[in-house]
Amino acid sequence: MNRERFVLHLNVADFAVAVERVADRSLQEKPVIVASLQAVRATVYDMSNEAYNDGVRKGMPLREAVRLCRSARLLRPRPEFYKKAMKAFAGQARTYSPLLEPGRGDGHLFLDITGTHRLIGTPPDVGWRLRKQVRKNLDIDPIWSVGGNKLVAKVASRVVKPAGEYIVSPGEEESFLAPLPLFFLPGILPRERGRLQEFNIGRIGELAALEKEQLYSVFGKRAEMLYNLSRGKDDQPVLPQENKPPAICREYTFPGDSGDRTFVEGVVAALAVRIGFVLREAGMTGRRLVLLLGYGDGGSAARQISPVHGVSDDFTLQSLALVLLERAWNRRVRISRCRLSCERLQRTSPQLSLFSVPAGSDRKKEQLQPALDRLRKKFGIDSVRFASQVGLS
Amino acid sequence: MQRSGKIAVPPAYGNSDCEIMIGTCGYSYLEWVDSGFYPPGTRSAEMLGLYGRSFPAVELNYTWYQMARSDALLRMVNTAPSHLLFSAKLTRTITHERVEDWREQVKLYRQGISCLKERLLAVLVQLPPDFDRTINNRCFLAELLDLLHGVPTAVEFRHRSWAVDVVFGELERRRVSLVTVDEPDLPGLFPALDVVTNPAFFYARFHGRNRQGWRSGTMQKKFDYDYGEAELQQWCERYLAPLARQAERGLIFFNNHVRAQAPRNAGLLSSLIEKSGQESVT
Repeated sequence: MNRERFVLHLNVADFAVAVERVADRSLQEKPVIVASLQAVRATVYDMSNEAYNDGVRKGMPLREAVRLCRSARLLRPRPEFYKKAMKAFAGQARTYSPLLEPGRGDGHLFLDITGTHRLIGTPPDVGWRLRKQVRKNLDIDPIWSVGGNKLVAKVASRVVKPAGEYIVSPGEEESFLAPLPLFFLPGILPRERGRLQEFNIGRIGELAALEKEQLYSVFGKRAEMLYNLSRGKDDQPVLPQENKPPAICREYTFPGDSGDRTFVEGVVAALAVRIGFVLREAGMTGRRLVLLLGYGDGGSAARQISPVHGVSDDFTLQSLALVLLERAWNRRVRISRCRLSCERLQRTSPQLSLFSVPAGSDRKKEQLQPALDRLRKKFGIDSVRFASQVGLS
Repeated sequence: MQRSGKIAVPPAYGNSDCEIMIGTCGYSYLEWVDSGFYPPGTRSAEMLGLYGRSFPAVELNYTWYQMARSDALLRMVNTAPSHLLFSAKLTRTITHERVEDWREQVKLYRQGISCLKERLLAVLVQLPPDFDRTINNRCFLAELLDLLHGVPTAVEFRHRSWAVDVVFGELERRRVSLVTVDEPDLPGLFPALDVVTNPAFFYARFHGRNRQGWRSGTMQKKFDYDYGEAELQQWCERYLAPLARQAERGLIFFNNHVRAQAPRNAGLLSSLIEKSGQESVT
């Protein structure tokens, strides 16, 4: 049985602009910048290739972007509209394989077409037909690339961006990656690139030439990942939405952007309480908490924390969430929305602690939690609140 | 496995100086493992080496899907047996989509295939079925052939309107080969002809004769056809003899890749030609 994988990656470059252009034909072939126009220190959310060629980049202050590209049409971002367009885009691909992983409104789509050759043809033919279909039905023109895994397919798309296609045959991964600059490699952090530059390593092949032990001495735990990335090794499955690991998410959008730290902390605490309540009701604990902050200028920041043991009580969840807020909110910009999610869920262990039982205040908290839950269950989630917490309902 | 050499055309088919190279359109098909052409467990990276044990030439069809890039082609050539020669299909953005900057794309394509050097047998310009003989299309083709000047080129028409003497005369003047096609006998399709417009080489493509699947829109149905020995024998008598009489070299490729019928039929055709050579000697 041949087990070679074939992953198809489709990417609509500058997705927000591509979608806006479908909605408004007059934007075709004109420089377009998508940015939150209300914020004082707005940054670029997305831009067209024409604006990119003038020097505009994502995350750049809008004022600077406008200075670089004076003829650009400015548009306000419409994330919900982009999500809807993304759904339609994914719908086109669904007929080719059930293993379909769409990005979150960003124009990226992975399709695992391993083993489908006898039914729907060769991978390049599927890529070509799908692109043709998307162009015809949605009027957007995706890049398509074929690789033996998600990593290679994604890099191949980056190579041909903003338009085109790339087929990397199985077995060619290393030689395909070797001459490319390090910034083509997803998953490698800017500070790691900087460190590698200090060693005069600027290409993926140069990184791949290093032994694992050499990488360990500089990058510690990250060495294994860098070693595999540089060799084009990636065994991440293409995960359809329904197969993604379960997570509990709660989100809040501020009616007007907020710069009031106490208020934002109160919102984050309230989100933590809501997640905790769901966790305990389901008899689960979570081992990772992720906070995504949306800035008023269109930028965003995400931080995550992974406690050693699963957590589900309000006290721990709140304190972890506030740590995340402290780490994520590092710009003097107002916050427009925040999203807290709890991942790596597992069943609460019924086993009691082998060692001492919690004493003092910890014990009191442990006893208080079921009482709070009983009240919330009966009278609503905001019926009893912590002093720091803001009522969201 | 079959043979990997070039075949001299036996006197029974005319010109014994004409050498024939038989191969398939593409070589990297996982279903050829399932169908037994490649041994069980063959990886994609090993396919070209194994393919070269059976055939002297291959038509690269992935250059139709993506622009020919010298880095990718070099990676492939490095794994190919040294005797294997290549024909490369021109990219769809030039022939089928005719993008705005198609002239630039032809230049890029020429750069991309330049690494094949003397191992390049021909560039195949396959034109879409709706590409009929209008003034615009004639101008486009003339300009395209101008841009490909100096590269051995073969043109495959799929619209019947091009089957006229004036077209053959122009191809002859330009020393561009007209592709002889074998496909189902359906209305509107370009007919199978024994016309040679370039004495350097003739170029034949076997698409299969699947009438039902031809307009199905899927390659898996369209190219699902297994040529019988009698059909190939008949083709040799009707077409090979006149083609070989007029050309120094013949390039024959099978496109009916489904269930590894292409390599099987290519092997069968090689055997038939060789067999008739032995018979004519005795």
